[in-house]
Amino acid sequence: MNASRHSSIAGIALALLTACGGGDDGGGPVDPPPPPPPSPPAPSLEVVAGGNNVPDRHSSDLWVHGGYAYTGTWGGLSRNGNPGDLVNIWALTTSGAPELVDSVKVPSIGTVSDVEVSDDGALLMFSAERDANEGLYLYSLADPRSPALLDRELVPGGLHTATFSRIGGQLYAFAARNPPDPALMIFDAGNPASLEVVAEVPIPPFYGIHDTYVRDGLAFVFAWDTGVIIYDVGNGIRGGSPASPEEVSRLVTAAGEAPSPAVHNGWWFHNPNTGERRYLFIGQEGPGTIGSRASGDLHVVDVSDLANPRQVASLRIAGAGAHNFWMDEEAEILYAAFYNAGVVALDVSGTLSGDLTSRVIGQVAPGGAGNTYTWGVQLAGGSLYASDMLSGLWQLRLE
Amino acid sequence: MLHAGALGRLRLLAMINLEGATLSSGELAPGAWGEGFVDRRHPHTYVHELLLSADDLLGGLDGPGRASITLGKGFAPFGTDDPMIRPPLRYPVNHHLAQILERAVAIAALRRGPLLVELGLFNGDEPERPGQWPRVGGRFGDSWSGRLTAAPMTGLELQASHAQVHSPEHRPGAGTDQRKWSLSGRWTRAVGRYPVYGLIEWARTSEARGFFVFSSLLAEGAWTAGQHRLHYRFERTTRPEEERVSPFRSLRPHLENSILGTTRWTIHTLGYEVAAVESSAFGIRPLAELSYGRIAKVGGGIFNVEQLYGGNDFWSLSLGARISAGGGLHRMGRYGAASGAERDAMEHH
Repeated sequence: MNASRHSSIAGIALALLTACGGGDDGGGPVDPPPPPPPSPPAPSLEVVAGGNNVPDRHSSDLWVHGGYAYTGTWGGLSRNGNPGDLVNIWALTTSGAPELVDSVKVPSIGTVSDVEVSDDGALLMFSAERDANEGLYLYSLADPRSPALLDRELVPGGLHTATFSRIGGQLYAFAARNPPDPALMIFDAGNPASLEVVAEVPIPPFYGIHDTYVRDGLAFVFAWDTGVIIYDVGNGIRGGSPASPEEVSRLVTAAGEAPSPAVHNGWWFHNPNTGERRYLFIGQEGPGTIGSRASGDLHVVDVSDLANPRQVASLRIAGAGAHNFWMDEEAEILYAAFYNAGVVALDVSGTLSGDLTSRVIGQVAPGGAGNTYTWGVQLAGGSLYASDMLSGLWQLRLE
Repeated sequence: MLHAGALGRLRLLAMINLEGATLSSGELAPGAWGEGFVDRRHPHTYVHELLLSADDLLGGLDGPGRASITLGKGFAPFGTDDPMIRPPLRYPVNHHLAQILERAVAIAALRRGPLLVELGLFNGDEPERPGQWPRVGGRFGDSWSGRLTAAPMTGLELQASHAQVHSPEHRPGAGTDQRKWSLSGRWTRAVGRYPVYGLIEWARTSEARGFFVFSSLLAEGAWTAGQHRLHYRFERTTRPEEERVSPFRSLRPHLENSILGTTRWTIHTLGYEVAAVESSAFGIRPLAELSYGRIAKVGGGIFNVEQLYGGNDFWSLSLGARISAGGGLHRMGRYGAASGAERDAMEHH
């Protein structure tokens, strides 16, 4: 997929029309022009399998690795009396359909706020909030159906998110500590049986840090009304390291129709087709009524000059709000969870500017109206998986 | 409570509130919310009011008019009287829609004839615990309100007010803003031989650029015959349902701007009070109050009334006694030129 997806369709149609128009030699009656060729079918997102499979709890984040998926649970409001104290374990069938096979129950936590598996598949990590045992958890996936606890680090106030990154060959976890003392916490996970905090970077309490995206030794910290802050944590451009992050730059994205920037999450797009590392996609989490409506745009920031990021484009889905992202970088498609609007697929090929509405190439509310509030998405094994707070884990496909 | 007059036109008012010591976990009251409490009425701050008013600033220069400036901690000029000084014991659900309290305020007031205009600057942040003071540094002046009051006839008072409040529920200032409106009519005059009090009010708060809207309609009255007083209140108010960290506390400080839904509370409250002991220096007034309420979910969201409360209606019975020494409470929230004739009868208590 390249920059000319849209223009090429119009161009082909124009060329065909021109060819068929022919020259008029002034002879007899002119045949009516043939009808234009049918347009290629528009891509669409479709439900393949899963769904309505976590009836006793609200679902939260997801991670898929190999033949298994792991989903968290959210306990901001108990469902059928249950808090968000489970990590559900799913086996994927040969067709990729999720089947619930087991779960890990963690005492005295209210929400599993983020879930991730290390790139080698050896470790399951999740962050937890809302009760005495809130903090960071690491499990061995030696048996992926039966995670075994390796270590935990309790963090008062809880952690909103956590993500792995290898820097200099060493595995680290970057975690977002909640208010009242919000901070980027960086853990050395080299010895997973003994997590060690190597750095704490205070973040202004407006409402603090929500998520972190780490790539190429740069940590993009999504810090609500403070905006996005870029740290060198091993890239070298500012001499930073995981133990001593150095700020590169920061940017406050537009509030749009929401009351504040509410910078929540992001993805730094490395385009394998062009070699560009130009765009940072940012999710804005505006006000919402959980389960029914939300707000907040998807923003595009040009970070080709990391020291001077600038916003260049945005997408608004009316009546809905952005949450977590995943990318098919080779296909140049961004998948965004949009809460009550479900999942949106966005063509991000070529140059991005202005309103991106025309680049939406697929959208699906997997649970249907009133039963969709999608937290996150992930592409794995040729399928797109979506974790929905109301309707559980879904397998989707972009046709 | 202290009222002290000095230097002719200066007046100091102080109100100490010990609810932080007597009901630090709040008072059970289904429907009540605010300052991080839910279904419990929150304790007020220890220093409820501490204000210095310079009254009648222009002397005779403004003819029959009266202008004042008030500085200190107290109510912003918005909405109706604090529920603490009204006949029903139960706090209304609309407390945080219909009053703005415990702020650092600067209020200018001008009374002329039957009209009173008040304009106030204050800090938007509300307190989160009884010992907390307003965040004056960095927050004072980020919010404002104005109130117009008219007294077209003896005993009748009409009020309209508007406020813009910045980040009331997040003290550092990253919370959503509120736009508030209030309209009310108040009656305080005997009908026949019997003192009668009545209030009807409408209040509306629009938050997060209108993403959330909460409103209230309330009517209440009291009828006194000798030692006996009957009162009744009807209220229909919507409130946000926030994520809770315990059965009676919502998450503070906020992490995001989402709620679980909106509920509408329709409550009837009937009460009886008798002045068992009444003198100019001391009083004991036993009372009983019965409330019946219905809770309904309004709009979408995952909040489920029946799942949380086990039903959608409730009864509540309160038994108690008001014990007073000295004079009654002053009309909180009306300072300087906005304070009425009752002020003069309440000095030095």
